[in-house]
Amino acid sequence: MCHQTVGLAARHLEAHGISTVIMGCAKDIVEHCGVPRFLWSDFPLGNSAGRPFDVESQAQTLELALRVLESAPAPRTTVQSPLRWSADAAWKLDYYDLSKLSPEQIAERRQEFDAVKAVAKAKREGA
Amino acid sequence: MSTAPAISAALAPDGDVPIPYMQRTREYYLALGFSPYRWAHFAEVPFAPLRTPLGRARVALITTAAPYQPEAGDQGPRAPYNARAKFYAVYSVPADRDPDLRISHVGYDRLHTSAEDINTYLPLARLREAAAAGRIGELGPRVHGAPTNRSQRVTMETDAPELLRRCREDGVDAAVLVPS
Repeated sequence: MCHQTVGLAARHLEAHGISTVIMGCAKDIVEHCGVPRFLWSDFPLGNSAGRPFDVESQAQTLELALRVLESAPAPRTTVQSPLRWSADAAWKLDYYDLSKLSPEQIAERRQEFDAVKAVAKAKREGA
Repeated sequence: MSTAPAISAALAPDGDVPIPYMQRTREYYLALGFSPYRWAHFAEVPFAPLRTPLGRARVALITTAAPYQPEAGDQGPRAPYNARAKFYAVYSVPADRDPDLRISHVGYDRLHTSAEDINTYLPLARLREAAAAGRIGELGPRVHGAPTNRSQRVTMETDAPELLRRCREDGVDAAVLVPS
């Protein structure tokens, strides 16, 4: 949801004259939305700005994003960071892996989700 | 003379591709008993080339991280998903101080990420360095927080216009947006 939110926000800023670049990890969501400029890191969600406790990787990631910001030739420009999360790509299989959830966990998450939606709805109607 | 780093000629494994988050989310919510979420999608994309050289531009930082709320439960590194820590309106904090912003309210990869280092989702320190080095003109005076609402209508009609208003108040030329 985070990636969609910034995609929609970037589009709005851009339509009103402010240049934008998104630094993110969820390539499909951002590109499906359609945004002006996107620096994609093929990293687990939560690491859009570089690797933990690795200032050099963070600086490199920002520098690439800034280059995309100043030099993208057209909208929907995606640049992929050359940095790798790990030599082994097995981590990519784990996100939302349903085979690892028990029926009890699924029921629990459904309840949790219903509660979140109810709060958001109340905020909307109260606003 | 330096030589270019060696590039492996071996084929990458089949699974080493961008994670299909939309598909995984669809399957996940179907398993929970919900109808599929319809992700935002547009045929046309706006484009405003940078009007000022970056070395003279004022740049905003926009984040989806949430201000720490002491009463809202565990928001620390490795905290499980914490819906109570969510926020529902755009907020702003001064960019010259270190804000306490957390990501326990979103679906980051909890298996492979600990969220211990704020610099992995908030490049504020790195942007300050870029400003000090003259790579950007300056950082905007505030960091702005964008709520992650499932309702695209709320994001497009309420939150995005509010972010634009604040960016204009700050007089920024460009914005770096970082989802967590």
